[in-house]
Amino acid sequence: MNNDMARQAARLLLLPTWMVAFAILIKGYSDSGDGFSGGVIAALGVIMQYVTFGTAVAEKLRPVRYARQIALTGLLLALATAFTPVLRGQSIMTHFPGPNEHATHIGSLELTTPFLFDIGVFLLVMGVCVGVFDLLAHATRRDRS
Amino acid sequence: MLIVLGLGILWFSGVCAAILDGRRRWVGFASVAAILAAIAALVALGMNVRDEGPQTMTAGGWPSGVGIGLTADMLGVTFALLSLGVLLAALTFEVFNGVRSQSFPALVLLLGAGLTGVFLTADAFNFYVFFEIAMISSYILTGYGDEGRQLRSATIFVIVNLLGSAFFLMGIAALYHQTGRLDMAGIAARVALLNPTSVILSAVLIFTAFGIKLGIFPFHFWLPAVYTGTRPAVAAILSGAVANIGTYGLLRWGGGMLPDELHTAAPMFFALGVISILYGSLQALSRRSVAEVVAYSSIGQVGFILVALAIGGPAGFAAAVLFAIVNAVNKTLLFLSENLRGWLTGFAFAVGAFSVAGVPPAGGFLGKAGLFQVAAQDDNWIVIALVVVGSVLSFIYMFQIYQRRFWTPEVAESANAVASPVSVRAVVVVLAIITLLIGFWPEPVLWVSEQAGQSFATTRP
Repeated sequence: MNNDMARQAARLLLLPTWMVAFAILIKGYSDSGDGFSGGVIAALGVIMQYVTFGTAVAEKLRPVRYARQIALTGLLLALATAFTPVLRGQSIMTHFPGPNEHATHIGSLELTTPFLFDIGVFLLVMGVCVGVFDLLAHATRRDRS
Repeated sequence: MLIVLGLGILWFSGVCAAILDGRRRWVGFASVAAILAAIAALVALGMNVRDEGPQTMTAGGWPSGVGIGLTADMLGVTFALLSLGVLLAALTFEVFNGVRSQSFPALVLLLGAGLTGVFLTADAFNFYVFFEIAMISSYILTGYGDEGRQLRSATIFVIVNLLGSAFFLMGIAALYHQTGRLDMAGIAARVALLNPTSVILSAVLIFTAFGIKLGIFPFHFWLPAVYTGTRPAVAAILSGAVANIGTYGLLRWGGGMLPDELHTAAPMFFALGVISILYGSLQALSRRSVAEVVAYSSIGQVGFILVALAIGGPAGFAAAVLFAIVNAVNKTLLFLSENLRGWLTGFAFAVGAFSVAGVPPAGGFLGKAGLFQVAAQDDNWIVIALVVVGSVLSFIYMFQIYQRRFWTPEVAESANAVASPVSVRAVVVVLAIITLLIGFWPEPVLWVSEQAGQSFATTRP
């Protein structure tokens, strides 16, 4: 897209998109939203760069270069959160601190293990979406040349 | 804890292997070790199931019925161990042979995680999720090798199985709509109260989905193209491990959750089973390449499983499990040994061939004997005749292909030209010895399948 306006908007909007994505992840604990939709929105921010700047520029972005690592880190984080209670003799995915126990708050956000799990999902979804988009972009570019 | 241990080991190691380059030998061996560890965990779980009955765990520590549950009974553990055993053989074979793609060990591990999850979950929707984890891994595995042949078979495999998955998902959605439950025990309890005619359509969708997985007669069209196009290790994985989803699914959903519908569908299953046996055997008779004969023979062998399911009851289900175990071992052995050259490969292939034909010292006769016994108890002469005819046909086509492969002078000479690595042949020979062991010492396998066949006596309300 050869449009200065679009380029400026895309560049300016990347960080706010991530901000919104993260907000949706956090909002999930009291309202609609979760790590999955947050991850999709975060990936959309990156995909916007592809559409406006083209593959060559966009793939220099760090989330694109490390898409695979982001996805796998996310998956490992989610799996680790799910399976750690098993090692402590509890059921899989039991959250800590448990119901009615004291949890540290940041504003209205409770720091519990489901939050870690959701961050894992967020990273996994974002990494996979960006990675798949990168593959598709390369596939179409190869076809043209 | 044991119930998720095997699943956890496979899942974690699968993700870790995905980061590494699977072509390195140590990654391959570490993956083999991970499967061994998971098998050990499942054996321990199986011991617990034997001593204390089915083991359960509900995610998040919720009360059962509220949270999503896992249940390990003899049926699930048996199928999980069987599938992991096949994956272990195929992965070891490929690691010794030289892994060609970066992702192969990771995919095998993730496939193992998906299969273990399928066999141990107590929740209908989670069954679907694990089923998809297993299927997506096997889609990519089918393309392993990256040559035109493999990619063509992968395309066929993906299209057909996506159709199957869509049927299955529709079936689950319909059952959920009718029963309001997603836990398997809950669905079974509610379905028992409903008028069978209202559930029959959901049952048809679900049975069709598993029929596609198994490759029974009207859904067999994809199977020969895929099994002959993929590399031997992948063909072994598909026919020995992934196809177990079909058998297990029909047992768990048919026997465990929709027993009345299974009973209604029994004549249909019987007819399809008979057609599969005859069609597969006759096609196999007319084929000349080893992979094609084994692929068509798979269609025939699966027919026996359907016939056992149609007979039903603990004895029929036990016969189906027994047949599935023996069939998975046979197919793994045959697919892995099909292209090998050198000393003892002829022996390994012959053991596999005799096992498919049901000639006594090899394990395969157990499956047929089990079916024969069940049929004889009911004086079911059609089944007895079928077992005999099927065995004779399979003996002819297996012996024919053995002759063509190992006794034809020019083939035999080229066979001596390049012998396969000793370690690769060792894997196949060990499999052949296991097949013989099953024949010589059948008690463990018989006991396990008998127990597995009785799984539904406890889960049925």
